[in-house]
Amino acid sequence: MAGSTMQVNIVAADHPVWAGQAKSVVIPAYEGAMGILPNHQPVLTLFQEGVVTVIDTNDEKHEFEVTDGFISFDSNKLTVAVERGRDVVRRTTDTVAE
Amino acid sequence: MGSQLAFKSRIASTASLEKIFNAQEMIASSHIAKARQVAMDAKPYADAIFDAVQAVVAHGHISHPIVRKEENNPKVAVLALTSDRGMAGPYTSSIIRETESLLGRLDAAGKEPELYVYGRRGVTYYKYRNRDIVRTWEGDTDKPGVEVADSISNALMDAYMRPAAEGGVSELYIVYTEFINMVVQKVRVLRMLPVELIEAETTLGDDPDLAAVEGVSPLYIFEPSIEEVLDVVLPKYIRSRIHECLLEAAASETASRQNAMHTATDNARKLIDDLTRKLNASRQASITQELTEIIGSADALNTKEE
Repeated sequence: MAGSTMQVNIVAADHPVWAGQAKSVVIPAYEGAMGILPNHQPVLTLFQEGVVTVIDTNDEKHEFEVTDGFISFDSNKLTVAVERGRDVVRRTTDTVAE
Repeated sequence: MGSQLAFKSRIASTASLEKIFNAQEMIASSHIAKARQVAMDAKPYADAIFDAVQAVVAHGHISHPIVRKEENNPKVAVLALTSDRGMAGPYTSSIIRETESLLGRLDAAGKEPELYVYGRRGVTYYKYRNRDIVRTWEGDTDKPGVEVADSISNALMDAYMRPAAEGGVSELYIVYTEFINMVVQKVRVLRMLPVELIEAETTLGDDPDLAAVEGVSPLYIFEPSIEEVLDVVLPKYIRSRIHECLLEAAASETASRQNAMHTATDNARKLIDDLTRKLNASRQASITQELTEIIGSADALNTKEE
């Protein structure tokens, strides 16, 4: 599907963590996990400690352990702002989520 | 004309000082790049928070205490950002001068300023003068981490959110040094709290980075609720602003140190040149004197023989 990606920026308080195009993102939102697909409605949500999962355009899965923070999504751009950079652990696996 | 030995020892000590200044200058210039990188790294987060706050502001009227002004509480907090180490030229002294003048202005306006100080130099200055400081932080003024920003903003937010009866404050000022470029750093007083969000919105045109926010849609969904989002995001916003100030102050401190050390190195070299010239003149004078004495005594001997 054309335009089925979105710009994702994951930023910690003292450094940018990840940026790129993604097909879907799952965040540990305040009231349970929340999946975000491209062209989602504008949303500003707090989230708890947990794992943010990003599926990028090559179907690669990136997982980030995050502390509390918030996400904001508008104009097809997702910003994940997390509190602590040092707690962010990046684990990349090449499993294809189909 | 001093003795040659005295000149030699002065030249030696100035030369060793020159080496120290030069090393300090090189250290400072290597730190500058790092400080810039740190500031760049923190920017995306600060932007994200700013965008979120703008989105909330665009959504509706906010009555959160952070944006509400409490006129009847005379207590205000003043945070001065100084450096841990000296050898940074007028860096700390200009902050202290500005802080003193701000305290004077606040006193004159009938407020009761409470002092918070970051940086060992500032702390020593006020402790030596037996001034009341509510809280101090030391360490890492040239590379402030998130932890320090966290601790400072927590303490200040605590003071701000406490009711007036329990010693809370109604305003927060930060005195810090703005990094304009490598040679120009300016001391600024910033009123951090209460936040003036509406004004920030009207001055969007001033900052090209913020201009993009104008297209923010008011149709955001807030989860769990707009109030809870605000409760979490606003303190983060303050924290991030304080962190920004710390980083800018750190960059200014390093730049100021580099400039001061550069001037000191130049001065030391000039002094060495000057002393070397004096040493040569003194050596020349003593040689001339010796020659005169030898010729004089030879003359005297010759006269005697005749």
